[in-house]
Amino acid sequence: MAEQISIFELIANASLLVQLVMALLAVASVISWMMIFQRWFYIRRIQLEVEVFEEHFWSGIDLRELYNELDGQEDLNGIESVFVSGFKEFTRLADQPGAEVDTIMQGVQRAMRVALNRQEESLETHLPFLATVGSTSPYVGLFGTVWGIMNSFRSLANMTQATLASVAPGISEALVATAMGLFAAIPAVIGYNRFSSRVEGLMKRLEAFSDELGSILQRAAHGKVGGRSATRSASTHGSAH
Amino acid sequence: MSSALRYYSLPLALALGIHALAVLGLYSNWKPDQQEVRAIKPQIVHSQLIVLEPKPKPQPVSKPKPVAAKPAPVVEKPKPAPEPKPVAAQPKVDQALAEAQRIEAQQRKEEAERLQRLAALADASFDQILDEETAQLEVSNDQAMAASYQAGIYQLVKANWSRPPSARNGMQAKVEVELIPTGDVVSVTIVQSSGNAAFDRSAESAVRKARRFVVPEDSSVFERHFRRFSLLFRPEDLLR
Repeated sequence: MAEQISIFELIANASLLVQLVMALLAVASVISWMMIFQRWFYIRRIQLEVEVFEEHFWSGIDLRELYNELDGQEDLNGIESVFVSGFKEFTRLADQPGAEVDTIMQGVQRAMRVALNRQEESLETHLPFLATVGSTSPYVGLFGTVWGIMNSFRSLANMTQATLASVAPGISEALVATAMGLFAAIPAVIGYNRFSSRVEGLMKRLEAFSDELGSILQRAAHGKVGGRSATRSASTHGSAH
Repeated sequence: MSSALRYYSLPLALALGIHALAVLGLYSNWKPDQQEVRAIKPQIVHSQLIVLEPKPKPQPVSKPKPVAAKPAPVVEKPKPAPEPKPVAAQPKVDQALAEAQRIEAQQRKEEAERLQRLAALADASFDQILDEETAQLEVSNDQAMAASYQAGIYQLVKANWSRPPSARNGMQAKVEVELIPTGDVVSVTIVQSSGNAAFDRSAESAVRKARRFVVPEDSSVFERHFRRFSLLFRPEDLLR
């Protein structure tokens, strides 16, 4: 044991509980890294889609045309679903006879809020997991370390001649657990902070978009209730900006 | 299910890759670090053992010095030795005083041989001295090691010794202790009584209470110093 202590020998020599803690931390680390990569790819994709859609939206395209184009599609991504649900609600309510502008707008806003919530939910999946790993895995590692050191000191009590060499391996192997806890926690905390701020930024952008769409639709509703065609006034939204 | 596989397979592969890299880095970097520490360790242990016992230290230090000084002039001597030889090998063939010269040459030859022998002797003695020196160093090492163990034994006995109230200054009891290689006490006999039965008994029971001492694993050291040794008990302190 005195010859060439490698970290793997330390792990192999650790007590069962410490080994369990280490295994738990290793699994947590792998999963949190997986989540980090998955979120990274997902959020980047959503951001790209938002940019592409906004560019498309503000290019002066007719909204009904855009709606018809998107309505048939199977899976709509974030910003598209906000637009589709808002516009669908608008067409449904506006087609009903005797609908007032206020009720139309309330319905539209409610529909868009639902879509926004759904979007936020899907953006924030796995983030709680990252937060949990980031905040608890140091404690889990510390638990393993304390347990390991406890054991090595207890075995020290049975020895007549206490030397540093008799406790050092035990402490060293116990400290591996803390190192693993920190190894799992640091990326998880960084990932959580980064992704939550990016999700927040994205959601602000989506909310701003839904407000803008709401104001365009309100203008259209006024026109429709006043007797004009919604589509015609809605299609002129580009000039308003 | 298939979509989940599609979304998570690449991240999972990347995550596993990162961990594999970390493990690989640890595997390749951990060992050399450890070895450096290893190399230093035994030295520290030895030096501590020597420091504990001041007695044997001056002996080896003072002895090797004259030994080291001696060979130096002796080794230098062989140099003149080869010089006379060629001179002796070229005797001038002169008609007159040929005999006298021959005698002289013979004398020179003898002297050269003598010098050579001396040089050889010096070489041999140098080797011998070196051997002696290393042997002495070993002995002193053993002594230092034994001394550290002895100090441990004294401490243990001292801790277990309770002096009887009837103990007076000037009393002394010599106790002979016999150990077996595990360090267990086999027998305790009083070799020299103090004249006070309570004092003798307390000395004997101090050793018996200790029951087991830490002794060196090296059997030769054990046989020399620990198989049988005596302890001198005095009320002032516990001395050898």
